[in-house]
Amino acid sequence: MSDGQRSPTSDGQIVVSGLTKQYKNVRAVNNLSFTIQPGRVTGFLGPNGAGKTTTLRMLLNLVTPTSGTATISGHRYADLSEPLRHVGAVLEASSAHKGRTGVNHLRVICAAAGLPRQRADEALALVGLTPAAKRKFKGYSLGMKQRLGIAAAMLGDPRVLILDEPANGLDPEGIRWMRGFLKGLAHEGRTVLVSSHLLSEMQLLADDVVIIAAGQLVRQGPVDQVIGSMTQGVRVRVRTPQAEALTTALKGQSATVDADGQGALLVSGVDAATVGRTALAAGVELHELTTERPDLEGVFLELTAGKAGIR
Amino acid sequence: MNLVRAELLKIRTTNTWWVFALISLPLWALTLLVNWLQSDALTSGDLGEMPPEQAAQLAAAAHPDALSANLFTTGQFFGLLIVMLLGIIVVTSEFFHQTVTTTFLTAPHRSAVMIAKLAAAALLAVLFWVVTTGLNLVAGAAVLESIGVGNQLGNVAAWEAIGLNGLAYLLWGILGVGLGVLIRSQIGATVTGILLYLGGTIGAAIAISVLAARFGDWINDLQLLVPSLASSLMVAGTEIPGNPPRWAGAAVLIGYAVVTGVAGTLILRRRDIS
Repeated sequence: MSDGQRSPTSDGQIVVSGLTKQYKNVRAVNNLSFTIQPGRVTGFLGPNGAGKTTTLRMLLNLVTPTSGTATISGHRYADLSEPLRHVGAVLEASSAHKGRTGVNHLRVICAAAGLPRQRADEALALVGLTPAAKRKFKGYSLGMKQRLGIAAAMLGDPRVLILDEPANGLDPEGIRWMRGFLKGLAHEGRTVLVSSHLLSEMQLLADDVVIIAAGQLVRQGPVDQVIGSMTQGVRVRVRTPQAEALTTALKGQSATVDADGQGALLVSGVDAATVGRTALAAGVELHELTTERPDLEGVFLELTAGKAGIR
Repeated sequence: MNLVRAELLKIRTTNTWWVFALISLPLWALTLLVNWLQSDALTSGDLGEMPPEQAAQLAAAAHPDALSANLFTTGQFFGLLIVMLLGIIVVTSEFFHQTVTTTFLTAPHRSAVMIAKLAAAALLAVLFWVVTTGLNLVAGAAVLESIGVGNQLGNVAAWEAIGLNGLAYLLWGILGVGLGVLIRSQIGATVTGILLYLGGTIGAAIAISVLAARFGDWINDLQLLVPSLASSLMVAGTEIPGNPPRWAGAAVLIGYAVVTGVAGTLILRRRDIS
């Protein structure tokens, strides 16, 4: 796409269109299309082997697509004039020379990208790695390696951030730091695309999700919408010594009642307030009354059921 | 230019360069000792009975041109091996440490990266040559004085040999880079390179002399096709009777360097990095 055709709104936008990668025996990515908006954190989800990493690598010109296109702000990655000033990517936690110090690793990248040398120190400070700057990479913990990868991605102060499984190997403190950091970047108007299979973390972090399985798009949209779109809606868990009386009363309210097998009832079709009011009117004693929302994990498992696994 | 600077910084920020320098130094000293003893033996006269052809070769080798050419290129045998290994490491360490992803993200134009690597390896090779030659000019002149032929620092043939020696360093550095792309595994490329160099030199030399004895002298000219022999011919110092001319060795070696360099670039451009 030439500059003339590019609309101003495409700045920071990632567009994947009809992307396909055929390996010898496997179609790793199959006619995949989606759009990622700036100013939001987008979770890129899929079971192992779904084609997440291959898709990201095609987006970054590391793997050549069999067909289709992937553009960032309307350009292929290879056509960006100063790629690091536009896109920062964290692909493997272990991608630095083991005998090189953290700060030297970043200085090499600065030299290659024509960035000022002090950006290396600034980026280290940004991820809180300054005390380990002069330590060799082989002495880094997994969490420090992840932080160094993020520092490398931030060297060019990019508009677009792409991270492949950044939470792998981080401790709870590190994960919380990463969540805040990425949300902050999105808040500044940057595009943040994060692949992961840690669904509970994604539910806390992501605004939008793109779910793929077996190389194909399964669902795309804001997290709440994707969760809400599922057949299994909100349910109310009730615990009572008078289960039969309550079930009869609730059925009068056209609710569906199931036993959960652990002594409680699962009520759908009505909200918790209605359940409480119905119980009060029927003189039924309640021990528990909880609203259960479907989470991303449940939705994900339902959406990708039967499509996961080794291909 | 940025990319070449980055490649040099990559080498400077790891142990590689000084480990290689440290290995090279004793090897250079050892070669110097051998060359000294050999030069001393050649000039001290009586070498016993021999066929006239061999006598002519020895007489050529005892000429000050040959002696100085040999001494001023001391350390070459291992030096070329070392710069080839450096060239290999410039490429294979990127795959070994998985830094190639970062390298290609920083510079998506892979040909430019490959050219930078070739340039960096060539610069390193030339640096090795400059340092070795500096040592040789001091030590070699001293040896030549001690065996009574003068320091030969004004000898054109000696400087010619020094120049061709530099070309050999340059070309082996480039060959190393090409080999590193063709064989990504660090160990695989290193072993292949060493075999190609040492085994090529010794094995091919034996094979060719056996074949030459059987089928005639023209087989001798085939040694040109073996990179290590082409190289040793190129840097032979002086024209040795019965051998192909030196420029032919240079031409063959340049050919190999160009082929591996271009083939390496083309392969790297197409390869999926995952």
